[in-house]
Amino acid sequence: MLMQQLLNGVVVGSVYGLFALGFTLIFGVNHIMNMAHGTVFMWGAFAGLYAVMLFDVPFPVAVLIGALGGGTVSVVLDWVAFRPLRKRGAPEFSSIVSSIGASLILLSLAQQLTATRVMRFPFDIFPIVVFSFFGLRIQLLQLVIIGIVVLMVIGLLYYLYRTSFGRQIRSVAFSESTSKLLGINPFAINFQVFFISGALAGIAGVLIGIVFNSVHFMMGEPLLLRAFVVIILGGLGSIPGALIAGLLIGIIQTLTVAYLSAGLADAIVFSALFLVLLVRPTGLFGGTAAVARVTRR
Amino acid sequence: MIGFLNSYAPLLELALFNALLAFSQYVVLRAGVFSLGTAAFAALGAYAAAILATKLAMPTWLGLVAAFGIGTLAGALVAIPLARLRGVFQALATLALVQIVLSITLNWVDLTEGALGINSIPKTVGLVGMLVAVVVVGYFLAVIGSSSIGRAFDIIREDETVAVSLGISVPKHHMIAFILSGAIAGLAGGLHAYNSYSITPNEYGFNMLVIVLAMVVLGGRVSIWGPLVGAVILTVLPELLRGFQEYRMVVQGALLMVSIVFLPRGVADTALAALRRRRIATAKAKTGTVTA
Repeated sequence: MLMQQLLNGVVVGSVYGLFALGFTLIFGVNHIMNMAHGTVFMWGAFAGLYAVMLFDVPFPVAVLIGALGGGTVSVVLDWVAFRPLRKRGAPEFSSIVSSIGASLILLSLAQQLTATRVMRFPFDIFPIVVFSFFGLRIQLLQLVIIGIVVLMVIGLLYYLYRTSFGRQIRSVAFSESTSKLLGINPFAINFQVFFISGALAGIAGVLIGIVFNSVHFMMGEPLLLRAFVVIILGGLGSIPGALIAGLLIGIIQTLTVAYLSAGLADAIVFSALFLVLLVRPTGLFGGTAAVARVTRR
Repeated sequence: MIGFLNSYAPLLELALFNALLAFSQYVVLRAGVFSLGTAAFAALGAYAAAILATKLAMPTWLGLVAAFGIGTLAGALVAIPLARLRGVFQALATLALVQIVLSITLNWVDLTEGALGINSIPKTVGLVGMLVAVVVVGYFLAVIGSSSIGRAFDIIREDETVAVSLGISVPKHHMIAFILSGAIAGLAGGLHAYNSYSITPNEYGFNMLVIVLAMVVLGGRVSIWGPLVGAVILTVLPELLRGFQEYRMVVQGALLMVSIVFLPRGVADTALAALRRRRIATAKAKTGTVTA
């Protein structure tokens, strides 16, 4: 029983990790708390869903279209909500406010578009195969999700740390003005970062829409709130941190629901955030450089 | 006049309640604290007042003192870990606080009646009571604002490094701001509970957080007029836009974005700055001095 719950926790946790990846990328590079990330995720899910409903595309194509949709929304978001503020050198607070505004608009438009309905992917979009081993049960789709999360983390790490683009992104993350002097075009870098982040969110949207068998305009909100806890626990902009913290939160939440009560889960997860901030504000993977950006002395 | 007051009393009371919440948000933003915790503090105050009135049949003044007290206490407790954190992390943590309070009020059914909320609270605070609260709090904030604490708040908001080099303790002032914010929001919650017959957990959720933030961003976060102007605009606007009910959130979102992008200092502060410039210009023209 405990093993099965732990396994379920890992699945839920990898969903959180998947969602938090793009969020933590923007946070790490642009230092923007993108409160509209949940709606980007939701629009990605809708892009995949409408592709399936209108053109009857197979599963991999739906995931790709979800990625494309999420990426596009995210880039537009950057242009409309964040670029004017970046140009002016506005404080961090402005981008939080602006992204809250953008998320209200995106949320409301989706609500109008779908008339507040809860929609579903067709039943046969992904074959239901259940594996049993050692008395544990896991679905093929859940395995696919865990696999995709691991792949994405490795891919993202490779891109950031082993390619020239990645080096440019990291230098912009370190200091935008210095990278300009070095001949890096921050415009192109921000475009990339927002597109990748949105694409990751879109993929997550399609997958989560299929797993939970529902796509609706509010689907991003609970995940966004979890993602806050994940990035704080994982450490500022740390990608492996996001994955591990996602797994931890998933396990904590599943165990709370299984052994204590469903109502308590939220309170415990968010109290964990306070505990982390009190004891180790830089999170699990925040290095010494992160200390100065998190706390003041 | 009396007829006008009677028909618009609920709207006026709502505007005054919003103004109190906006004051609570304004104090923290003025000090450069990115707290989004106003909704949580207000929920604590409202529930404390409502529970005292309905379950224990306590008098109104005691309920309001309790609401004020619990808000102050919550602000102080939250400030201990958060005053030493930087902006984004304060925003995240206070957002989590709103969620924690929401989940407690939803799930501790024995005490809070859960999602249904607490109903049939006797209405003991009217328009006058709300108005007195707004005036008193506003006056108090204006006094604090022009004291050394207010100056320190302004410097910390504009540039922390300068503030530290002037010997201003940032964590200490952030703590003061948190406590003030908690106290005002707690009082606002208590007054609202005694004014509106019923309270529900979801009233004090993400929507309230967004609206209150929008009021201060739109109005301005330096002068005391900012939150007042913002509260009035964002209370009246939905009434004017009643025909476009479905697009209310779009309008709110667009308003937030447009005001932070094009009017980053807010309506009231921009207007006050323009007024001051004009006064200086006319004074110069009168005395005939020419400055290079």
